[in-house]
Amino acid sequence: MNTLIKLEIARTLRNKKFMFFSVLYPAALYLVFSSSAKGNDKIGDTGLTFPVLYMVSMASFGALTSVLIGNAERIAKEREKGWVRQLRLTSLPGHGYVMSKMTSASVVSLPAIVAVFLVAAVAKDVRLDAWQWASLLGVIWAGSLVFAALGVAIGYTATGDAVRPLSMAIYFLLAALGGLWFPASQFPKWLQNIAEYVPTHAYAALGQSIEVGNAPHMKDVAILAVYLVIFAGGAAWLYRKDTHKA
Amino acid sequence: MTTTAFAYTGDGRRTGAPVVTFENVNKSYGNVRAVADLSLELYPGETVALLGPNGAGKSSTLDLLLGLRNPDAGRVELFGTTPQQAIEQGKVGAMLQSGGLMEEVKVRELVKLACDLHRQAYPVDEVMERAGITEIADRMVNKLSGGQEQRVRFALATAGANELIVLDEPTTGMDVTARQAFWSVMREQANAGRAVLFATHYLEEADAIADRVIVLHRGRIIADGSAAEIKAKAGARRIVFDLDGHISEAALHELPFLTALEISGRTVRIQSSDADATVHAVYGLGLYPRNLEVAGLGLEQAFIAITDAATAEEAAR
Repeated sequence: MNTLIKLEIARTLRNKKFMFFSVLYPAALYLVFSSSAKGNDKIGDTGLTFPVLYMVSMASFGALTSVLIGNAERIAKEREKGWVRQLRLTSLPGHGYVMSKMTSASVVSLPAIVAVFLVAAVAKDVRLDAWQWASLLGVIWAGSLVFAALGVAIGYTATGDAVRPLSMAIYFLLAALGGLWFPASQFPKWLQNIAEYVPTHAYAALGQSIEVGNAPHMKDVAILAVYLVIFAGGAAWLYRKDTHKA
Repeated sequence: MTTTAFAYTGDGRRTGAPVVTFENVNKSYGNVRAVADLSLELYPGETVALLGPNGAGKSSTLDLLLGLRNPDAGRVELFGTTPQQAIEQGKVGAMLQSGGLMEEVKVRELVKLACDLHRQAYPVDEVMERAGITEIADRMVNKLSGGQEQRVRFALATAGANELIVLDEPTTGMDVTARQAFWSVMREQANAGRAVLFATHYLEEADAIADRVIVLHRGRIIADGSAAEIKAKAGARRIVFDLDGHISEAALHELPFLTALEISGRTVRIQSSDADATVHAVYGLGLYPRNLEVAGLGLEQAFIAITDAATAEEAAR
């Protein structure tokens, strides 16, 4: 299975379109968004400035892009092309394919997070303690597993032409509602109430707590854990269903 | 069971425990019965061709055999266990028509993956050499021609020491040289005591390579035996001659031992289970056949005759 994971990582890194969207795009978007706001303005009750807040948002967004879009479309395509069938004729255990997809996706999401951190530190003078950088990286990276599971689930739901619109719709909705593009604190109150339970919101909130200097809220961790169970459970169920009709 | 009358006798290599066992296997998709009450056993060292027109249930049978689908009823066993277990133990290598390849990787990387996943893998270079893909090792998989892709699939199916090799239309897209090389490798495998099962629509391949031919029709086995036995079943001989003057089709239909009749222009083509008697009766009708030829049937005609007969039998029911 290690060979499969390594190969999955290698081919993802070779894919220029993917590298552009998941690594460079979030970092570029970060520059655009954070320069339009005044550097010292605090946002809402977070006590954070735009460049700092957006760093977590865009790093989360970048990780989300790489694990969600990458996984969903590829799995759907590979199911269609019969590669999944071919793999099932090897000694690889049934869930090995899904595991390797999730693992390789999360490895590839690391450069996306690091790219945003680098741009923030170099271009926007974001300064944090060493423990904060380390735990931000860890939290954003670990949290991306939730969306890797969602990507697998989407990949097993749709095929062909349907998978791109479906994954895009979910992706944009999650990014926007979770406050990854615009701080959720600027939403109208009713939308804020909804956004609080969107997985991407909880995801970004983990990092923002660390930026303020606190440990992540248990509520956000719990929300993400519930979503992880739902997405992974759904992915496993869809995978088994697909196995039966293959 | 219709198959017992044509049980494989082969060259006596049918020994040991069966490699594949199908016992009264049924599979339907909606109202379509893809596999109907199928029972068969394959043995080590056998090279078996699975023949049948499109929609006869060849692919469904292979899917069931490989555990890619579960039967509605009946039992499928490989090496006395489930197909999934046999595959996990590395006993089965398979090349599917519907089996895709991983894209955006090099040929060599993909073959290495297959070797790493196999419990009893051969060295990567050896696998590539045997499949004839050493020269394209560094090419990207998604930039290959159809024939090259097919050879890569073959490499994946033979990455390790399998005891059963399953091939679905394996030589599609290969040129003649590649096809010959392919079958010589397969013969080696069979001689090493492995069972080889392949579905094909190239009847000459089945005729030349298989020592056992199973003909499927609408999910049922309608013939199971050596190529020679299948030909014998279909009506042994083919009679062709030209006639001058008026040809009475009705009179020709009355000929004894006739299994098929076709008239095109002046030429009459007959299949007969007793050619001597049929030819005798042609003269008996007062006809004077010119350019008379009597020959054995090719497997192709035999195949058509058998499937036509099965269709007629079903319609009559």
